[in-house]
Amino acid sequence: MKTVSLTIDGEKVTARQGEKVLWAALDNGIYIPNLCALRDASEIPAACRLCFVEVEGKEQPVTACTETVEPGMVVNTRGPSALRLARTAFELLMSSHPVDCAHCPANGSCELQKIAHHLGTKLKTRRFRKLLRELPVDSSSPVFIYDPNKCVLCGRCIWICRERLGIGVLGFAHRGFERVVTTFADEPIAESGCRDCGECVVVCPTGALTFKEQ
Amino acid sequence: MKATGFQSVASTFREIKSRAESQWRGLRDGGKSVIMVGAATCGRAAGALEVLQAIKRELKKQKLDCPVVEVGCMGHCYAEPIVTISKPGYPPICYRHVNPVIAERLVREFILGDDPCLEFVLAALEENDLVPSFSDFPRAKFEKKVILKNCGHIDPEQIEHYIANGGYSALAKALQMQPEEIIDEVKRSGLRGRGGAGFPTGQKWEICRNALGKPKYVICNGDEGDPGAFMDRAILESDPHSVLEGMLIAGYAIGARYGYIYVRAEYPLAVRRARIALRQARKLNLLGRNILGSDFSFDIKLFQGSGAFVCGEETALIASLEGEPGIPCYRPPYPATNGLYGKPTVINNVKTLVSISHIVQNGAEWFASVGTERSKGTAVFALAGKVINTGLAEVPMGTTLRQVIFDVGSGIPGGKRFKAVQIGGPSGGCLPESALDLPIDFDSLTDAGAMMGSGGMIVLDEDDCMVEISRYFLEFTQRESCGKCTFCRLGTKQMLEVLAEITKGKGKIEDLDMLSQLAEDIKAGSLCGLGKTAPNPVLSTLRYFRDEYEAHIKEGRCPALMCQELIAYYIVPEKCERSCDACVGTCTVEAISSHPKKRYKIIDQEKCVKCGTCVTSCPPQYNAIVKLSPPGQVPASK
Amino acid sequence: MDTLGSRAVFVKLPQRPADNGLHRYAHYHIIQLAAMVMTEEQAKVKQQTKRILNRFGRKRGNLIPVLQKVQGKLGYLPREAMLEIAEFLDIPEIDVYSVVTFYNQFRLNPPGRHSIRVCLGTACHMKGGYITLDAWKRRLEIDRGQTTPDREFDLDTVACVGCCVMAPVTVVDNKPQGKVEPTKVDGILLSFKLEKERQGEESR
Repeated sequence: MKTVSLTIDGEKVTARQGEKVLWAALDNGIYIPNLCALRDASEIPAACRLCFVEVEGKEQPVTACTETVEPGMVVNTRGPSALRLARTAFELLMSSHPVDCAHCPANGSCELQKIAHHLGTKLKTRRFRKLLRELPVDSSSPVFIYDPNKCVLCGRCIWICRERLGIGVLGFAHRGFERVVTTFADEPIAESGCRDCGECVVVCPTGALTFKEQ
Repeated sequence: MKATGFQSVASTFREIKSRAESQWRGLRDGGKSVIMVGAATCGRAAGALEVLQAIKRELKKQKLDCPVVEVGCMGHCYAEPIVTISKPGYPPICYRHVNPVIAERLVREFILGDDPCLEFVLAALEENDLVPSFSDFPRAKFEKKVILKNCGHIDPEQIEHYIANGGYSALAKALQMQPEEIIDEVKRSGLRGRGGAGFPTGQKWEICRNALGKPKYVICNGDEGDPGAFMDRAILESDPHSVLEGMLIAGYAIGARYGYIYVRAEYPLAVRRARIALRQARKLNLLGRNILGSDFSFDIKLFQGSGAFVCGEETALIASLEGEPGIPCYRPPYPATNGLYGKPTVINNVKTLVSISHIVQNGAEWFASVGTERSKGTAVFALAGKVINTGLAEVPMGTTLRQVIFDVGSGIPGGKRFKAVQIGGPSGGCLPESALDLPIDFDSLTDAGAMMGSGGMIVLDEDDCMVEISRYFLEFTQRESCGKCTFCRLGTKQMLEVLAEITKGKGKIEDLDMLSQLAEDIKAGSLCGLGKTAPNPVLSTLRYFRDEYEAHIKEGRCPALMCQELIAYYIVPEKCERSCDACVGTCTVEAISSHPKKRYKIIDQEKCVKCGTCVTSCPPQYNAIVKLSPPGQVPASK
Repeated sequence: MDTLGSRAVFVKLPQRPADNGLHRYAHYHIIQLAAMVMTEEQAKVKQQTKRILNRFGRKRGNLIPVLQKVQGKLGYLPREAMLEIAEFLDIPEIDVYSVVTFYNQFRLNPPGRHSIRVCLGTACHMKGGYITLDAWKRRLEIDRGQTTPDREFDLDTVACVGCCVMAPVTVVDNKPQGKVEPTKVDGILLSFKLEKERQGEESR
């Protein structure tokens, strides 16, 4: 296997040729905020817009999940313009998230909390208007609860249900601000053909999918 | 790939052409009057089909046997419905604003009698001693018709008309050239994509030709989603074969086997005419296997877009062809190497493809002699909004905005003052008076904060509010956002919320800084072109019309008297004549009544829905109803 | 070239029958359909959809043309039709739903007898298209995207029909009408009313 050496945040690291900067960084213990990235997926969603980094020689920050490693590349994950974009994206996500950590089962294990800590921003944004979607919570499954209001549309659950397990119950529907992870005809999950395996709950980075308490 | 049998291509085409020409001559020189009715969508909305029926009815009644031809749009949409009559012994004359009554008169008095009814004339198509011709119009000096050459002059449903007017000759010529030669010609012409971003077409083709993978595809992007742009519709409705010819040449040049025409379903007539054109081209072997006896085989399918603005973006368009929601993907790889079904694909705009046959026919140098240093050829604009001559205008690149709006478009109606011109739709921006002398090309518009976009040009006058128009565009992009990436899905929504508050007089001054910061981040951070350009309308109006934003925020006043929440209608008692009831009768919500003691009228502000119907109904000699902003200026009724 | 090898490539795969339950995603709707007592209406939808599907190949790229044809026939996309299409193309049902809810053209509810589409292109908006929309809403007493309770009218907006010079435009029963201001809204509604009365008299 051919490898490439590059510098991330001043650290010399090596990565497989053709690897994306995001994975090269994460493999070497350097955290870059991310939600939608999936290592094994055939297509890169590049949807959450959190993994911005600065690459020497490039005018604009780039998303680490789409940028391929190059020999001698110099990456800075904490550059001011990359952080500015990541922070704005994160604040936007939080502007439509009901920040109610105290009552959320994901409290403590939520990736949004981790990202906020990493970016040095608050979970509750002051800059933007609060735009909640107020969608109904689906607790029809015997195993888990789905609260679409807490969903960040990363698509991990859809991917695991379809590509890994070959079930294909979940998908994106509607568009724009109304875009949502849902089932056919927005039916309750229990009636959609779900096999209650709970894999989607495991991969969910937020409190949108949580196990029912036993 | 190389097209063999050059001899046979030339002779096969010569045969087709001579047949078409004799048919066309039969129509033109048959000794009968020929009546052409402009029946594109704009003409139809103005009543062209009723006119067409009236003409046919009257001809029958008068026992006249004259060919009546449905043609497309000449671009003089302000004068629709347009009827052109070519009577032997007279120049071909265009009549404007024809209705069924006028149509009957034209048949009786001009075709049967010998009175050319000069009172209805728009202009003659050729110079003559009887009536002024289009070349006498002041706009003729600025216009140069290349892409729109045939529009409105031929029957779009008859392939012979197109061929007799030089159509498919470029294809025949191209098939006798090497594909590389064609690509080289297109590259040297300096043609840049007319879809908006202006990528060099020849370069795109070369990348695709050299890319590995088969079959390759050519896609015509006719998903003209920019609100306010309608030239792709006009071309597909008026001259569909010119698009097919461009696609065929592109297919031959890059080595493609299949093509798709992607047309919006909102354009049913364009869909129908493209479908007829495909059928006719197939019949003459201009499409299908071994075209014109060469080695080149190519077929085109029609695909109807289902109403999603974002599908104008290449990767989203491909996704929808593949049966997916039109959601853009990260690029690179670009479609030229990994496009439809992962195969190399060229996607060109309608106008780009129409330009191709002219380049092949007349040479790269001819094309490059028109335009500016970095933008060659002509630009087609759809002129709409507050301008006298609404319609299509084709001018050389480098023409100034002032020339397009004031010389071609004849300026602003009603003696109003020009305020701004919105170019490039939701991706573009609003340019003020000071930018009017800007020569139009891809780069100058981008520098000024607008964008060529697909070429929609909406002229705005003093009655149009710049905050409201940027709110309108944000509402549009927000509604059309696919929702995939955070910046576009939530960022534009945030901007829209803030703008809506401002137009309601609830904005705060610090919102303006937040707006421009967020706009810059959305531009830099979005995944696709839609998101990256969505903030342009806001950024350009903030740059040129900040004072209007401030008036809304600080004074609760809409300077253009447009934002509904910030205005009120008021009847000035002194001007209101007592015995007139015009406004009372027309008010759609019965909000106007007579003063209980005096005899003037008053508006019940609670009931008023601010539709403005009363203003138009008030006789001009009274002119008693005014708009006031802020609404608090309305005096309490005595 | 190895003739055997090349022949193997061209062996025609047998067409899979539609209802054998072997499809990757088919089992769910079979379960659902079995559990459901189909009404006459649903059975008719299913049959009509099948008839349209027979004209298409089973490739995913046909999804949008299929949906357009089915909606053209039925006026909207009923649940049974979407299930039928998913099965035919062998794709998850949610994928059909994703596409249907993504594009403006598709609707999940039956349309009214007359369709009213208010153009909200730039030129129409600046010339008062939003006022026209308000007038329609007021007169029909419905919001955009809704159908009147008597199923006579459905009201929606359209991004731009390209008739900008006739602004403000309303597309009434697929015919673009120019300069539709609040008073013309009343005029159009009156003409529908008169036509209905005339038809009523004729049928009496």
